[in-house]
Amino acid sequence: MPHTDPDVRTDPADAWLDRLLADDAAQHRNDYVDDAGFTAQVMSDLPAPAALPRWRKPAVTALWATAGIGAAFALPGAVLDVTREAFRLLAAQPLSLSGIAAALVAVGVVTWTGTAWALRRD
Amino acid sequence: MASPPAVTDAQLIARCQVADDRHAFAELVRRHQSAVRACLRKLTAGNHALADDLAQETFLLAWRNLRGFRQDARFSTWLYRIATNCWLAHARKRREELLGDRDADVVADDDDADGGDSTHTDHARAASLRIDMERALGSLTEAERAAIVQCYHNDLSHEEAAYVLDCPVGTVKTHIFRARQKLKHVLAAWNPAG
Repeated sequence: MPHTDPDVRTDPADAWLDRLLADDAAQHRNDYVDDAGFTAQVMSDLPAPAALPRWRKPAVTALWATAGIGAAFALPGAVLDVTREAFRLLAAQPLSLSGIAAALVAVGVVTWTGTAWALRRD
Repeated sequence: MASPPAVTDAQLIARCQVADDRHAFAELVRRHQSAVRACLRKLTAGNHALADDLAQETFLLAWRNLRGFRQDARFSTWLYRIATNCWLAHARKRREELLGDRDADVVADDDDADGGDSTHTDHARAASLRIDMERALGSLTEAERAAIVQCYHNDLSHEEAAYVLDCPVGTVKTHIFRARQKLKHVLAAWNPAG
């Protein structure tokens, strides 16, 4: 029982107060508050659920997939060219320790920020 | 002895978190409404209408924040925490009105109690104790009252009360110590040693 915690020293002369509090607490715990429409009232006050049709998610997925496949056929080799050019530009840069360190710090900051954002609590 | 429910609170909470299951939430409200409303009635010193309004607000907030509930405390303790915060926010905003309402309610209850028979039965003693205790709780600061209600009436440990009140355990003990000193004075008439 919390009120008999040895850290909270109670004077033996205050036993009457302990009894009084215990009686009132027992009475409090025995009192059942009848629902009397309370639950129904709470449920009617809840915000309305988002009214999205069931087909919305698969339809959006299918549209994105179609767009992706279309882009892959419309731009043959484009992704490969862009990657190759980016790598060539990067490789042409003179490398220094401070440059590598700065790049690592930048990647670290972006990664941790992204992780923190993804794990944030609402 | 009542048999344990077929579906546990944890299962109902999971259904709410995963599938926004409103039927599961309704069952949780049905199970806990009595305890939450009774707790708020104590905190508001017997103002039933205000207690029920705050209980409504408590369950709406619980629904909105249920996804963030990690079950690191009992669901009932989490609800007490929300309820206590709702009451504290309301009390801060409308302190003057709250005191006025409480005094009026206590006076009305006094009239009812005095109107009956004068024999000192257990029932009469219980009713009398309830009225005096409500008045006594009203003499405490909000933090002291909340600590007494959580530790004595809701039977929470000091650690659980600290979670509900969002303060260190030592602060809860201090609030209880101070509250007891005040209650001793206000309820002196109940001391058989006189």
